[in-house]
Amino acid sequence: MIFFPQKNRTHEIKTYGVGLVLGLLALITLPLIVQSNDYILQVFTHALLLGNLALAWNILGVSGSISLGHAAFFGAGAYCSALLSLEYGLSSWLTIPLGGLLATGLGLIMALICLRLRGAYFALATLAFVEIPRVITDNWDGLTHGSLGLVGVPGLPSLNLGTWSVDFSSSIMASYYFVFAYFLVLLGLVRFLFASNLGLAFQAIREEEIAAEAVGIPANRYRLLSLLLSAYFTGVSGACYAHLVRYIEPGLVYGLHFSAIPMIFAICGGRFTIIGPAMAALIIYPLDQFVFHPLLPAGHEFLYGVVLILTVLFLPAGFWGSLRKIS
Amino acid sequence: MTVLQLQELSKAFNGIYALSNINFTINEGEIVGLVGPNGAGKTTLFNLISGRLRPGSGKILFEGRDITGFKPHAVCKLGISRTFQSSRPFSRMSTLHNVLAGQVFGKGFSLHVRPEDEQMAHELLDVVGIAHKAETLAANLTLSEQRRMDLARALATRPKLLLLDEVAAGFSPVLVKQAIKLINRVRERGVTLFIIDHFLNLSLKVADRLLALDHGEKIAEGPPNIVMKNREVLRAYLGMRYQDEKD
Repeated sequence: MIFFPQKNRTHEIKTYGVGLVLGLLALITLPLIVQSNDYILQVFTHALLLGNLALAWNILGVSGSISLGHAAFFGAGAYCSALLSLEYGLSSWLTIPLGGLLATGLGLIMALICLRLRGAYFALATLAFVEIPRVITDNWDGLTHGSLGLVGVPGLPSLNLGTWSVDFSSSIMASYYFVFAYFLVLLGLVRFLFASNLGLAFQAIREEEIAAEAVGIPANRYRLLSLLLSAYFTGVSGACYAHLVRYIEPGLVYGLHFSAIPMIFAICGGRFTIIGPAMAALIIYPLDQFVFHPLLPAGHEFLYGVVLILTVLFLPAGFWGSLRKIS
Repeated sequence: MTVLQLQELSKAFNGIYALSNINFTINEGEIVGLVGPNGAGKTTLFNLISGRLRPGSGKILFEGRDITGFKPHAVCKLGISRTFQSSRPFSRMSTLHNVLAGQVFGKGFSLHVRPEDEQMAHELLDVVGIAHKAETLAANLTLSEQRRMDLARALATRPKLLLLDEVAAGFSPVLVKQAIKLINRVRERGVTLFIIDHFLNLSLKVADRLLALDHGEKIAEGPPNIVMKNREVLRAYLGMRYQDEKD
C-alpha cells in the first residue's frame, strides 16, 4: 500500500516497469489487432475514458475522501465543453480544458460545503451535491436546452501539424488514440503527483489527519488541492465524453453511474495504488460489455456490485494493491 | 532565554474550566515535567500550545512572538513539535515515510523527494533505535516502537521546543531507562523539552523543573524534589485522607 516501498526497489521497479510497458504496448497495438472490429475498439475507448475517470477520482481518493459526487464534475465538464463548441463554434481543443475549469469551479463550491466533513458524511454530502448542477442544467432551458439534452455535439478535435493532420473524430480508431493519449498524460501526471512529496502529504492526511497537521502539513489546504485536481480531470473526462458520444442529457452525464463507476474501479483496483484504478477499468468494463452484456442485456450491471462486494470482503486493498503487497 | 511563555491561559469546555489562569515560563535548554492526576488539564495545555485548541483567554508566546490561535501546522513550522499520548502513526505507511513526512513538511516544502531528507529520516530512526524497522508498516510496530517512531517524526520537524505527551507511560523499568537516555540525547541536540508525565517515572529523573496541575489550576512549580513535597501536590496525587492523617 506504499507507493514506492524501498525494499527490493530496483527489482520491483523493473518487474513493474516491464509490466507497464507491455500493457501500454498492448493498448497501442490494439487497434491494429482488432482492425476490422469497430465494436471492440469502441468498448476499449470507453474503458480508457472510464480509466481516466477512475484515475481522476483517485487523486481525491488517495487523500482519504470517498466521493459519491463526481458526476457533478463529469456533467459540468461535458455540458460546458459541448455548449461552447455547439453554440459559439469554439474548437474543442479549447472547450475541453474549459470544461475542466468549470468543473474545478464547481469543485471549489463542493469544497466549501463538504470538505469539512469526513468519511461517510463527506460521501453522503457529495452524493447530494450532484443535484445542484443537475437541477440547474435541467431547468436552465435558455442556456442548456434543459432535459432535451444536446444533440449533434461537435466531435473530437483534429490536429494539424504542417502537412500532416489527423481528425480525431474521423474514425473510431482515431478517437481511441485521442482518449489513449489523454490516458497517458493523466497516468504520467498522477504518477508524478503521488511519487512527489505531495503524495506523501495526501497519504499522511488520509492515515492520521491530526498527526499530519502536527508535523506541519496544512491538511485542509492539501485536501482542497486534491479535490480541485480531481474535479479538473473529471471535468476534462466529461468533456471528452461529450465530444466522443456527441449526445448528452442531464440524466445521463449527471447520473449516479458516473459517480459510482470511478469509485468502484478505484476500490477494486486499489485505492492506494497509482495504476490500480485504471487497470480495473480496463479489465472490468470490457468484461461487462463482452461477456455479461450479451448474457444479461437487462441486468448486466450487477457485475459491478458483485465485483465491489467481493473486493471489499476479500481484497480490501484492491486486487492490484494486494498483488503488490505479496510481491 | 525564554522559549515559551504562557500568560493567564484559560480554556473551558461547556462552561467547565479545563485550565484556568495558567502562568508559566520555559527557558531555553530546560527539561520541564508537567505532572498532575487524571483530568488535571495536562493534555489540554499541550493542545493549546500546539494549536489544536484555541484558548478561551490568555496568551501563548513562543520566543517572544504571540502564537495564540495559530494553526497546528503553522505552530510546527515555527519550531514547536509534539508527540501524542496514544501515538498516532500513519498506519499504512512505512516507518521511514512516517518520519520523512515530518522531515519534508516540518519546516519548508519541496515538491521533489530529496535524498538528503530520506538520509535524515534514516538517521533519526537510528537515533531512536528502530533503524531496522524502516520498511515496516507503522501499524505493525510495537507500542514502544510506535512511541520511538512518534518521537523521531517529531524530531524530524527540527523543533526548538518538543512537547512529549506520556512517552514512558506503561513502560517497563528497562524501557524507562532507555527513554531517559533518549531524552538526554534529544536535549544534547539543543531541544527544549516539556514532558507530560502522569506517573512520574520519567520527570523525577530528567526534569530540571516541574509544573504541577490539578483541576486545571497550577498548584506548584519548581525543582522536582521541592514540588514533590508540596502539600497540594501530595493531596492531588494521594488524596485528602493522607493529608488529614499527616496533619
